[in-house]
Amino acid sequence: MPEFDLLGFLIQWLTIFGLYSILAITLNLEAGFAGLTNFGKVVFYGIGAYVGATLTTYLTLHLNNVDPFEYPPYSIDGIVKLIELGGKSPPLSIGLLALSLIIAFIAAGSVGFLLTYPILRVGPAFVGFTLLSFGELMRVFLRHYEPVGGSKGLAAIPRPFSWVGDPKLSGFLFLLLVLGLVAFTYITMDRLTNSPIGRVFRAVRDDEIAALCLGKHVPRIKALTLFIGSGFSGMAGALMAYYFTSVNPDMFVPAVTFNVWAMVILGGMGNFTGSIIGVALFTLVDRLLAFITPTLGVTAISPDYIRWMFVGLLIVIVLLFMPKGLLAERPLKTPAADEARKLLAEGVGSAQHT
Amino acid sequence: MPNILEVRDLAKYFGGVRALDGVTISVPEKSIVGLIGPNGSGKTTLFNVVTGFYEPTRGEVLLRDDDGSVERIDGLNPNEVFLKGVVRTFQVPRLFTSLTVLENVLVTPPVQIGERVLDAPFKSRWEKQERELARKAVGLLKRFGMGDYVYSRVTELSVAHIKLLETIRGLMTSATLYLLDEPAAGVDYGVARELFNYIRGLREEGLTFFIVEHRLDVLMDYVDYVYVLHNGKLLSEGKPSEVVNDPKVIEAYIGG
Repeated sequence: MPEFDLLGFLIQWLTIFGLYSILAITLNLEAGFAGLTNFGKVVFYGIGAYVGATLTTYLTLHLNNVDPFEYPPYSIDGIVKLIELGGKSPPLSIGLLALSLIIAFIAAGSVGFLLTYPILRVGPAFVGFTLLSFGELMRVFLRHYEPVGGSKGLAAIPRPFSWVGDPKLSGFLFLLLVLGLVAFTYITMDRLTNSPIGRVFRAVRDDEIAALCLGKHVPRIKALTLFIGSGFSGMAGALMAYYFTSVNPDMFVPAVTFNVWAMVILGGMGNFTGSIIGVALFTLVDRLLAFITPTLGVTAISPDYIRWMFVGLLIVIVLLFMPKGLLAERPLKTPAADEARKLLAEGVGSAQHT
Repeated sequence: MPNILEVRDLAKYFGGVRALDGVTISVPEKSIVGLIGPNGSGKTTLFNVVTGFYEPTRGEVLLRDDDGSVERIDGLNPNEVFLKGVVRTFQVPRLFTSLTVLENVLVTPPVQIGERVLDAPFKSRWEKQERELARKAVGLLKRFGMGDYVYSRVTELSVAHIKLLETIRGLMTSATLYLLDEPAAGVDYGVARELFNYIRGLREEGLTFFIVEHRLDVLMDYVDYVYVLHNGKLLSEGKPSEVVNDPKVIEAYIGG
């Protein structure tokens, strides 16, 4: 057995944990709070990843005076050039990172916004399957679209911190960036859901028709939710492209979506802390099993399937004893309850009505 | 009093079924108007057309504004109809089950700063308005005897309180016309009368009510005018005492 590299393991695990946390938190906003059964999470993650990969590879070549159409980034020549050029210039690397994150947010968010149109008038199951099939359409398109490498995808994507030199340190810096984005996502979503708009999200989830009858523009609320959730997922996708330094269509299979769903359900719908715990547990068990299963000596079936089985078992066991997941939904936190408490304590609150 | 709501020659067909077939109804301002009829006569369909759930096959729905101008509202979406000042309750109450009573009431006010996505994450921008609305909501709940239930989940409420809460929700706006679909269904006689007493009190304050109700024993004591629907057509209309003695109405209800 090779020597266990704890620091390397931690950096690897926490980075994956961070990327999935962003997906899980935003899925919880969409599904847990606003009631949108988004079975197409991978679409927005994928868009972000491809935006990050395409922008970074093409611009790295172009800004270094290499014609990306003569040496396309998916060709051997292009890849050789990218390996040569990557990590040479810190300002360029950071600039491309920032640009990728912004464009990934806008691109993924806009697609999410537009995809609400076909799902407005259908029930939750149809919303799920429409988005699921869109994901598959995207994957088929990417497999056949040459400029982003077709089925081979894009590789040798220059990492934003490779100019640091020491791979451990650059990995650590990248981890900090990922965790920073997780914190930003968590705080934003937590604030959004504990505000009047969060109240409307829950109202739409509980009873769409009643919300409509109280003047709430339900289609706009859904579009907005998918814009926000997808935008953040797009950023996670861009980071993922940098982390793996390559993207290809088969990374974006429906299983990714359902893994995120499993994490959210495990942690508890309507609870962001739960989602983070769900992701941590899920990815940790998955990582550990990836280490352990090959040593079990099982040859009849692939160790991958043993991993899947254990993860499935974990979910079944948790949900058997905690049907709402590890953490239940928390009550809405706005100053209204506090104000009401003050009023009721004073015994005032006269009939003031217009 | 001028009419706040006018329905003119309204028809709604579902394929060959004529759920509404040329109905004309007027609801004067500050009145309580009843709408009765046997099951399947088109009462709820009428409500659904007026509140924007269905587009009419024929006819118009006219609503009078505060400033006296009259506007067609058929073809608008339900949320747009609400913003014009029409509140609707349902036969089967529709409350937000994961929210408390207070929060249910607070969903209603239309222009909330904290409902704008760019302001929502910053509590300082909407806290003042939120507290003002909370005070108004608590005031309303206390006035209708629901002061003890401010923090209750709506799933813990009695049927009477659920019905009441649906109406109270509407009072958080400046809406003037209330369409109530069977407010007294499923509650006992005493509570039903109590509910209608509240409605009468609100009428005195200038609100208008258009009510579908099967409990004629209660309804008839409170309404100014009644319309009777039968198979999508108006069968009779008039003061309560006239309508209950109309042989056509008696036959529709009893003879079938």
